[in-house]
Amino acid sequence: MNGDFNSGFREAARIAIEDVGLIRSVETATGRFRLGREAALAELPEADAMRDHFKQIRAATLSNLKNHLQTFEANARTAGVQVHFALDAEAACAIILDLARKRGATLAAKSKSMTTEEIHLNPALEAGGIRPVETDLGEWIVQLAGEAPAHIIAPAINKTKEQVADLFREESGDEILAEIPALTAQARRRLRETFLQAGIGISGGNMAVAETGSVVLVTNEGNGRMVTSLPPVHVAVLGIEKIVPTWAEAGVWLSLLARSATGQPLSIYTSIITGPKQDADIDGPEEVHVVFLDNGRSKLLGTKYEEVLQCIRCGACLNVCPVYRSAGGHAYRGETGPPSPYSGPIGAVVTPLLFGLADHKQLPQASSLCGACLDVCPVRIDLPRMLVDLRRDSVEAGLDGAGTAVVTRLAARAFGSERMLGLAARLARFGRRFVGGDLPRPAKRSFREIRREKRS
Amino acid sequence: MKRPEKPEYGFATVFETLSETIFPAPAALPAPWTSRRRFPDPVARFREALEAAHGEVRVVETLDEALSEVAELLEEIGAEVVVADSEAPLERFSLGAGRQVARVSTHNADPEAWRDLCARADAGVTSAEALLAETGSLVVSSGPGRSRLVSLLPPVHIAVVPAERIETDLFTWLAARSGRWPANTVLVSGPSKTGDIEQTLSVGVHGPKRLVAILYD
Repeated sequence: MNGDFNSGFREAARIAIEDVGLIRSVETATGRFRLGREAALAELPEADAMRDHFKQIRAATLSNLKNHLQTFEANARTAGVQVHFALDAEAACAIILDLARKRGATLAAKSKSMTTEEIHLNPALEAGGIRPVETDLGEWIVQLAGEAPAHIIAPAINKTKEQVADLFREESGDEILAEIPALTAQARRRLRETFLQAGIGISGGNMAVAETGSVVLVTNEGNGRMVTSLPPVHVAVLGIEKIVPTWAEAGVWLSLLARSATGQPLSIYTSIITGPKQDADIDGPEEVHVVFLDNGRSKLLGTKYEEVLQCIRCGACLNVCPVYRSAGGHAYRGETGPPSPYSGPIGAVVTPLLFGLADHKQLPQASSLCGACLDVCPVRIDLPRMLVDLRRDSVEAGLDGAGTAVVTRLAARAFGSERMLGLAARLARFGRRFVGGDLPRPAKRSFREIRREKRS
Repeated sequence: MKRPEKPEYGFATVFETLSETIFPAPAALPAPWTSRRRFPDPVARFREALEAAHGEVRVVETLDEALSEVAELLEEIGAEVVVADSEAPLERFSLGAGRQVARVSTHNADPEAWRDLCARADAGVTSAEALLAETGSLVVSSGPGRSRLVSLLPPVHIAVVPAERIETDLFTWLAARSGRWPANTVLVSGPSKTGDIEQTLSVGVHGPKRLVAILYD
């Protein structure tokens, strides 16, 4: 057997597809998110025009990224925030560990952050003698299970209430009913202690507003507010691309984020953090730090992959992807190492770009190129185009083994033939009528049709 | 507040990397997006949106009526310990005997004691600097006389707000606001919720389980 088939995406996906319970959970969750998104955007006048507008904002911001980061740094400093820049994961972890040590913290309360997953912050904190506790309910479940998040915005999408009850019993020694209200109450009780005792609060950030040096953080549970209000130090970790020039653009970002993610007009809590506790404030952190992470992002600027940095991590592309829905989030991994925190179509593109194509060469293949991801992306990121580009890079770099090379050549021939591909797309739409609605809906317009329009 | 020093870590390295990046000419940002929404009755829309997120809305005529609503609500939930911000329009808010009411004090306050009190309070009472009709949001900021924990730690958050503070949406609010940003501003658009276990809605995981907005003319 070819070595490629024993590890990485293919093997993980093969196992996941056979897990009927897992696939059913993923289908239920993604189905809700899909319907929610459609309804929330339908309610918005000119939603499509807003997405076009947002695309312009993101592209223009990235074309001037350095200036916006410098503006943010100057304004945040005026507001009393210390700004750090980390070239890679190791540097980011060292900065955060150092901040925690300076305050003598031994317990860190964390709110869900894929960026801190990306830099493997939790093991780094543990190695430094600091106990990190995830406080987003889903992320806490994932942490107790010793797993990686299975969805960008719903990390424990793959867990049943019985499995959660087992994890909670093990964590506390308490007897807990496998009922959702009881489980939620247990999390409230246990994590409330963490919030009150933590010496440092660590969060991600949905965006950084350069104009005022503010970090914006959205959560539904309120753990983001706890982590940024109770501990004496708050550290927010963001990729350098999460910058927005002014509040005019930030409003558009917020209008599309939750609608695309969960179908909410806004998340329950949108926190805007512009500095530490002021003299007249009775509470709030004494120190606020922002750590901007590069970790391979800047090298994408000015390349054909720059567009991937426009992503706002809403997860909409996961919910519509037939491959994600069949394989689950944990399948998005390299030949070595743990699953990527970024799964689905965005994960298939950004994971090889950030962590190396050689170890993640299977991921660009993890797509049927149906174009559904492009259809729903609030920034209209052309993921199918980049998946094809990555496949080409992979072949050109000689990364593909004999088995994949044949498939790739066949696919290349099909993709090279407009007629053959058009026939396949028409057949897919036609065939769906006979088998009913259980099949993933093909994109309204195929990638090929869109490309043809763009060319003409 | 001490002004932080120049960043010490990796600043130069990242910016060197960015400087080496070949940028095409920076593209211009599009003209700002302005609100496209019109609500004939913004208060009705606010109610609709907040109720959809499991919040509660009560609309009364006067501030006195609003304050009696608060008192009735505290009676109803059997609140013994109540924490409240000290700002307009809550100055006249009093709760009578038999209930421990603590207010944010700007002088001689002990932060540790205040936090403990908020953590065991049965309800927190605040106002809001603005209401967003479209999304059913309350805008709550830190500042003198206000505590971030009043609207966060107790299981019930009650907000008393003049209806005239209503704005159409995020865009109209952002366009109307001015001056420097408070250290902490939160748009509160419902009680705390999660769907993290089996995608089943569960209200009140970390923040308040109940959010009641009382609007008066």
